[in-house]
Amino acid sequence: MEAPPVTVMPVTGGTINMMEYLLQGSVLDQSLDSLLHRLRGLCDNMEPESFADHELVYLLKGQQGNPFILRARRSLAHPTAPWHLRYLGQPEVGDKSRHALVRNCVDVAASHSLPDFLNEMGFRMDHEFVAKGHIFRKGALKVVVSKLSRVLVPGNTDNTEPLSLSYLVELSVLAPAGQDTVSEDMRSFAEQLKPLVHLEKIDPKRLM
Amino acid sequence: MQQREEKQLEASVESLISRVAHLKNSLQSFIYKLENEYDRLTWPSVLDNFALLSGQLNTVNKLLRNEKTPSYRNQVIIPLLLSPDRDEELAKLTEQRVPVFSHEIVPDHLRTKPDPEVEEQEKQLSSEATRIGPDVAQKQIQALNKLCSSLLEKLNNPRDDRDAETAAMRQNKPSFNPADTNALVAAVGFGKGLSKCRPPGPVAQGHPGQPMMTGGPTLQQVTISGTSGHQAGMGASVTQQPGQPGKIPSSIKTNIKSASASLHPYNRDSEAMRTWQLS
Amino acid sequence: MGVTCVCQVPVAEGKSVQQTVEQLHKKLEQLGAMKQGSFFVDCETYHATSNASGQPSKLLYVMHNSETPLSCLALFEGGPFLTADANFDVLMVKLKSHFQNAKGHKVESRGARYRYCDFLVKVGTVTMSSSARGISVEVEYCACVVPGDCWNLMKEFMQSFLGSSVPELPAVFSSKPEGLFVPTDCMDTMSQYLELFSKVRKQQVLPGSSVR
Repeated sequence: MEAPPVTVMPVTGGTINMMEYLLQGSVLDQSLDSLLHRLRGLCDNMEPESFADHELVYLLKGQQGNPFILRARRSLAHPTAPWHLRYLGQPEVGDKSRHALVRNCVDVAASHSLPDFLNEMGFRMDHEFVAKGHIFRKGALKVVVSKLSRVLVPGNTDNTEPLSLSYLVELSVLAPAGQDTVSEDMRSFAEQLKPLVHLEKIDPKRLM
Repeated sequence: MQQREEKQLEASVESLISRVAHLKNSLQSFIYKLENEYDRLTWPSVLDNFALLSGQLNTVNKLLRNEKTPSYRNQVIIPLLLSPDRDEELAKLTEQRVPVFSHEIVPDHLRTKPDPEVEEQEKQLSSEATRIGPDVAQKQIQALNKLCSSLLEKLNNPRDDRDAETAAMRQNKPSFNPADTNALVAAVGFGKGLSKCRPPGPVAQGHPGQPMMTGGPTLQQVTISGTSGHQAGMGASVTQQPGQPGKIPSSIKTNIKSASASLHPYNRDSEAMRTWQLS
Repeated sequence: MGVTCVCQVPVAEGKSVQQTVEQLHKKLEQLGAMKQGSFFVDCETYHATSNASGQPSKLLYVMHNSETPLSCLALFEGGPFLTADANFDVLMVKLKSHFQNAKGHKVESRGARYRYCDFLVKVGTVTMSSSARGISVEVEYCACVVPGDCWNLMKEFMQSFLGSSVPELPAVFSSKPEGLFVPTDCMDTMSQYLELFSKVRKQQVLPGSSVR
């Protein structure tokens, strides 16, 4: 006659331990059309999808150790769409047998109160940028070609300045931990984009 | 004599029927595959099916063109008996497609002229053709011929053009810049080159005048000191770790990279500037 | 999603929690309400391990509701509120060095779900650390989203099976700056549950109850 016991599992939903496999590169503005053309040929037959996003990067500082970083993205093209909150773990680049950078990844869709909520949690915005570009898919592979822009007046996404004369090109796959075979697929796909774009496993620490 | 011709006709019709039956079977199986196995069907096997169909069509054509085949055009079919009742034998012969041999459907099945719509279209086309004068027609023919021949030429020598194009791309115009790659990856990775220390946007307007990062390092600085301790001598983080002045030389490599990145017209990297002042 | 009212129903004198719940079920069935499955609402409590500003940090609550099974609702008392998908739970695991889960504070309410015309009634046993602490009753009037338009109707309906323990207009509605005539959302329901759970959490022993 007793009430059902309270579950002790802290997690009731969600997908645990998803990894993002990533290759990065860039393409000069004048070669963008050739790349888009090639991607249209290589990728799944779908309507070309464009996007315009505003990304806000938030930090939460603890007493010691690295700050906790969260990325909040909202679509400028679809203002009513949910926000996208993203956690990215430390990248693993050491393993030579793996052809892509691998990092833990948690994607959360969230309501528009996200910035207020993160502020209340103690997060503070570190920087922001605008990314505009195109998305392509080939099975599980995702290719994002985007122009990054600085936001000149904080919070005003109409007033931006391009960061460089190139577009960032990212090839990524989300997979459960341990599925390293996907990095093989990524490498063979990246081969097909040469010599237009060289997609590489880039250790961000190297660039600091 | 007549008997021989009749025999010949019969034989040729029979062989034509069997060829058409083959063709029908392969068409049927191909349609079945397209409708039911489209998820497993590979392109090569689709091509195989097409090849089979075209081969069978060819044999049918060959048969019709054969000298021994009597001209079917000279044969006349006359409906002798029309009946509104269902004819089981006929239904069986036509795979249930034609169950009745009635006055309603016979004109459709035995017609030797094109469909009325096609006839109408044809009429329109021929009236159009008579409308334009012979001069105009001649001009149009010439234009079309010219177009076709230039297209053919292009199709026949595609290699030259394309090779020239790719060669130009390979030699003269690089399509990407590694320095840009680094700048962009660093920007999405840890906000390098993106503005720092700005008051929060509309997000946190509840706290005006309070700079976001007061009292703490920015992401870029923290990740540097946190993840690669040996480069702690770099940039502003030197003030946070004053006990390691001897580590400064190890940051030289990074300095060079930042410097090359700062050559870029768009890169106003304050981080690189600071590094230069230090070293 | 209509207008909801969540209230705590006192345990009847001389009865256990379970017996009182069964009494409520019986009353609802006599009214003609149909049982339609079960429901649960749970609430985890997190507190920040470090605080840069030095002020006492607010508690962060992460809640789930079987009515919105793919969502995860995160709240601070008094706001702001966040609606997120189930991956928010995974994120909280990643954040464990900054936000600690107070395991002993997990509260949940489980029970039966009844439908009576346009009303949805959920009678739940509120449990904390596997001991029953009280009874929650949620009444939802599905046909309307404006509290000011249907509160009197809801009140009358609740009187029919709750008798004297009919609650006042929930504070979430009356305290809204825009007034009673703005549409409600699922957060209004969750903050009512949160309020009820905090009350239950504070009350250590259940008065007049034989449940341990």
